[in-house]
Amino acid sequence: MALVEVKDIFKNYFLNKTSLEVLKGINLKINQGEFLVISGPSGSGKTTLLNIMGCMDKPSSGEVFIDGQKTINMTSDELADVRAQKIGFVFQNFNLFPVLSVIENVEYSLLFKPWSSIEKRKKAQEALSMVGLSEFARHKPLELSGGQQQRVAIARAIVREPLFVLADEPTANLDHKTGEGIIALMKKRNQQHKTTFIFSTHDQKIIDQADRVVKIWDGEIQL
Amino acid sequence: MILKLAIRNIFRHRARSLITISTIVFGCVAIIFIGGFFEDVFLQLREGFIEAHTGHIQVYKEGFTQKGRVEPFNYLIDNSQEMISLIRQLPEVDYVTPRIQFSGLLSTGDNTVSFVGQGVDPQYEKSLSKDVGEDLRKAYKEGVKEGVTTLKIGQGLDSHDEYGVILGEGLAASIDAKVNSSVTLLTNTVDGSTNAIDTKVKGVFYTSSKSFDDIFLRMPLKTAQKLLNTESVQSLVIKLHHTDDTQEVRNTLKFLFKKRHFNFEIKTWDELAEFYTQTVGLFKKFYLIMRIIVCVVIVLSIFNTMNMSVMERISEIGTIMALGTRSKGVVLLFLYEGIGLGAIGGAMGVVLGCVVVQTISCVGIIMPPPPGANVGWLSHPMIVPRILLSTFVFSIFIGGISAFYPAYRASRLVITDALRYR
Ligand SMILES: Nc1ncnc2c1ncn2[C@@H]1O[C@H](COP(=O)(O)OP(=O)(O)OP(=O)(O)O)[C@@H](O)[C@H]1O
Ligand SMILES: [Mg+2]
Repeated sequence: MALVEVKDIFKNYFLNKTSLEVLKGINLKINQGEFLVISGPSGSGKTTLLNIMGCMDKPSSGEVFIDGQKTINMTSDELADVRAQKIGFVFQNFNLFPVLSVIENVEYSLLFKPWSSIEKRKKAQEALSMVGLSEFARHKPLELSGGQQQRVAIARAIVREPLFVLADEPTANLDHKTGEGIIALMKKRNQQHKTTFIFSTHDQKIIDQADRVVKIWDGEIQL
Repeated sequence: MILKLAIRNIFRHRARSLITISTIVFGCVAIIFIGGFFEDVFLQLREGFIEAHTGHIQVYKEGFTQKGRVEPFNYLIDNSQEMISLIRQLPEVDYVTPRIQFSGLLSTGDNTVSFVGQGVDPQYEKSLSKDVGEDLRKAYKEGVKEGVTTLKIGQGLDSHDEYGVILGEGLAASIDAKVNSSVTLLTNTVDGSTNAIDTKVKGVFYTSSKSFDDIFLRMPLKTAQKLLNTESVQSLVIKLHHTDDTQEVRNTLKFLFKKRHFNFEIKTWDELAEFYTQTVGLFKKFYLIMRIIVCVVIVLSIFNTMNMSVMERISEIGTIMALGTRSKGVVLLFLYEGIGLGAIGGAMGVVLGCVVVQTISCVGIIMPPPPGANVGWLSHPMIVPRILLSTFVFSIFIGGISAFYPAYRASRLVITDALRYR
C-alpha cells in the first residue's frame, strides 16, 4: 500500500468569475522511505499539490489517501488530527514561533502526542542534537542564522515521528551551500530512519540529490 | 503549550500591551475608587440617618403609618413598658426607647410659629457635642451610639430638668430664640382640650437634615406626656448593635408579636428613610453607568490590541494550524491572550486601586452637605473586598469577551492562504 496516493486530482481557483485550473488530473503514489522531489517552474502547481497531500487544502475533484485513509470527506478537525499525527512540515520561511525558545518550538510539535512533558523534552533534545543544534536550545529562533532556523524546523518536523515530511521549497530562502546542507540533513535522516521526504524545488543541484523526481508542468505531471 | 504561547505573545509587544494593560488598570482603579467612595457615602448617610432619625426599627400600633398623621393619638401604645422589656431581651438590641410626636405652636411672646415636638428619653437620645458631631465616623468609633442631634449651642436634654427643651437650628432662628429664652408650647392633648406649658430653651441643635431642623423641637418624654395628658407613647425606636441584623430582628419581633397577639406594625430603617433609599438608588445608577463606560473603553482597547495581533500573525496562525492545531486551539490561543491581558490589568488595578483608595482615605474628601442637610462632612473612601473581587473577575471576563471576535476570526483563516500571506 502506498503511503500517499492521489488519484485524478483537479484543482481550480476562482478569481472574479474566471476559473483558473491549477492542477489538471494528477496521479501519484508515494511509498514508504522515498526521498522525492517535485520540481517544476514557478506557478506550475507544486505548492498546491503539496498542500493537498499535506491535508491543508482539498482538491476540486479526485481522491487523496494518506496511509490508506480517504481524506477528502474529512472535517477540518479530522484533517488537523491527520496532520498532527502523521505529517511533518518544513516551510520556505522556516515559520518558527519567535516567542518560543528553540527547544519549545520543537516541543510544540508534540502538543498532540500522549507523552509526558519529560518524555517530550527528551525527544525534543534528541531531535535538536540530530540537527546539531543542542547548544542553541534556549535561544530564540531570531538569534539563529537562516540555515540554523531551517534545521530547527526540520527537528520540529521529525520529532513527532511522522509518516512523511512535506517541505515546500525548504532551501529557497537559503544560499546554495546552506541549502545543500539542509538537503544533506534530510537525506541522512531518510537513510538512517527511512523517513519519507517529499519536497519541492527549482534548484537543479538539489533535484540531482533526489531518488525520484516528479516534474510538474502547467498542472500536469511530465513523464 | 498554547497557554505558554499566549502568555509569551502578550509580552511580545511590550509597549502595546503596556498601553492596553494601563487602560485596564486605570479603569479598575476608577471602579474601585468610585465604588469605595460611594460605599462610604452610603454608610455615612445610612448610619447618620439611623442615628439621627429613625433608629434601626420602629414599632407602632397597627394602622399608624396609614392614618397616624391625621389622628396620631388614636394609635398610641399603652403597654410600652411590657414591650420594651420584651424587646430588650433580644441580644442584637442595643437599646429601645419610646417616642411621642405631636405638633403645636411655639411662642416667645413676640413671635409664634408652629412646630413638631418629639418627646424622647434623654438617657438614650443624647445630643452630641459639636466636635464629635462634625465627624460621625469618629463618633461611632468612640462608641457614641446615642448621638441623635448635635448641639450648636447650649446643653442637651436632661431628665431632671423637665422644662428644658432643645430647638432645631432653623426653628430657633425663626422665632429668634436664644439659650435660656423662655418659650411657651401650646398643643392639643390626646382628649382634645388645649394645654400649654412654659419651658426654657436649653440648647439649639442641628442634624443632617435641614428640613428636620426647621420644624422640630425635643423635650423629655415625661414632659411631652404631661403636656399631652397621656401615659402612652407613640413609637418605640429600637437601636441595634449592627445594622446588618435589622432584617433578622424584624422577623423575630414579628414572630414574638404574633405569638402574643399584639397588633403592631414594624418598620425598618430602610422603609423609613425614603431619602436614603432614593439617594442610594441614584448613586448606584451613576456607578452602573460609570462601569459600563469603563467596560466599553476596556473592551475596545483589548479588542484593538487583539485584532492587531491577529493581523500581524496571520502566517504564524497558518503554521499553528498546519502543525495540527484544531480551530478550537486557535480560538483558545487568542482567548488566553485576552484573558491574560485582563488578568494582569485587573490584578495590577486591584493593587493600585487599594493604594489609591488608602491614600485618599487618609486625607479624606471634604464633602458638601447632602441635599436637605446643613452639615458638610469628610468622606473616607473604603476598600471594599467585594468590589475588589468583582473588579478582578470583571476584567478577566472582559478580557475574554473582547478577545472573542478576533480569536474567532483567527480560527476561520484558511490555512493555505494564511501560509501564503506576507
Ligand atoms: N489561493 C489562490 N487563489 C487563486 N490562485 C491561486 C491561489 N493559490 C495559488 N494560485 C495560483 O495557482 C497557480 C499555482 O500556484 P502554486 O503556488 O501551486 O505554484 P508553485 O508551483 O508552487 O509556484 P512557485 O514555484 O512560485 O512556488 C499560480 O498561478 C497561482 O497564482
Ligand atoms: Mg510554491
